[in-house]
Amino acid sequence: MSSIVPYLQVIQDSSLSTAFRESAYVWGIVDGVHVIGLCVFLGMLLFWELRLFNVGVRSASVSETWVRLSPWIMVGFVIMVLSGVTLFCGEPVRYWASIFFRIKAVALVLAGLNAVAFHYGIGRKLVQWDVQPLPKSAHIVGITSITLWIVIVFCGRLIAYNWFAPLY
Amino acid sequence: MSMLPLFQWIEATSLAMTINNSKYAFALIEFLHLLSLAVIGGAVLVVDARLLGLGFRNQRVSEVAAAARPWLIGSLIGIVVTGALMFSSLAAGKYYYNIGFWWKMYLLAAAIVFTFAVRQPYAMRANAEGGTPKAGLIAIVSTGLYLGVAIFGRAIGFL
Repeated sequence: MSSIVPYLQVIQDSSLSTAFRESAYVWGIVDGVHVIGLCVFLGMLLFWELRLFNVGVRSASVSETWVRLSPWIMVGFVIMVLSGVTLFCGEPVRYWASIFFRIKAVALVLAGLNAVAFHYGIGRKLVQWDVQPLPKSAHIVGITSITLWIVIVFCGRLIAYNWFAPLY
Repeated sequence: MSMLPLFQWIEATSLAMTINNSKYAFALIEFLHLLSLAVIGGAVLVVDARLLGLGFRNQRVSEVAAAARPWLIGSLIGIVVTGALMFSSLAAGKYYYNIGFWWKMYLLAAAIVFTFAVRQPYAMRANAEGGTPKAGLIAIVSTGLYLGVAIFGRAIGFL
């Protein structure tokens, strides 16, 4: 079924992956960077989502808020992805077998689709919202995004725990 | 005077024992701690960025600080409450002997004092300016202190 496992095993058995996994300090630093990336990304994303509900820095228009916050959101996201992929490569077989990792991966894909749908769909009218009230669809996207990110943080934290039998 | 007896007493409270005896409690508290961390990251950074002349540079510093204030205070409460719960469960057994824990607490105390004694009074003033050397220094010290708390928090697991 899960034919990806042999490939993950090759990554895990590589000398680089093994060295990373066994080096407690390097692993800890990358894990710390992952959390710092989360703070920058999710913390700044929060102020963007708040603006969609007319809360936060209200004298900034919706489009200006995006211009001001998106660089921070993007940088935080890149830090999270790079450190996250690195962490994954340190123990890919175990992560793949974790129910929390799988839920996190699905939630990440959904969050990505939600963001794409927003910015290429309703979000194309961003400048209109500078003068018009925000539509309900923007609120739905905002709530979906925050909910998915809470799920992602929850599952991310719980990947550390082997509460359930591995999935193979 | 040693604080060890106090730490031992904390670890023996029924609250600490409940956390210790639960399979899921510590992990759930960790999750809430992490979520508070993400919020505080934004609440600190959005204002410190403004003080550095970045981020919302067309808005007044005081407006950005006022918008972030409830999130800053709320997430600080969240961090301290969840942190105290995790601390209680291993107060004497782990944290008392961990130098990373002590430095994290010193830096957290410094960060809170600096935030409410220096940064907030400066940033909340109606005519507060960003992008000046003084504002930039305040921002760097503020972000630096919270980053220090995070670094020593991470180090607890390795010391």
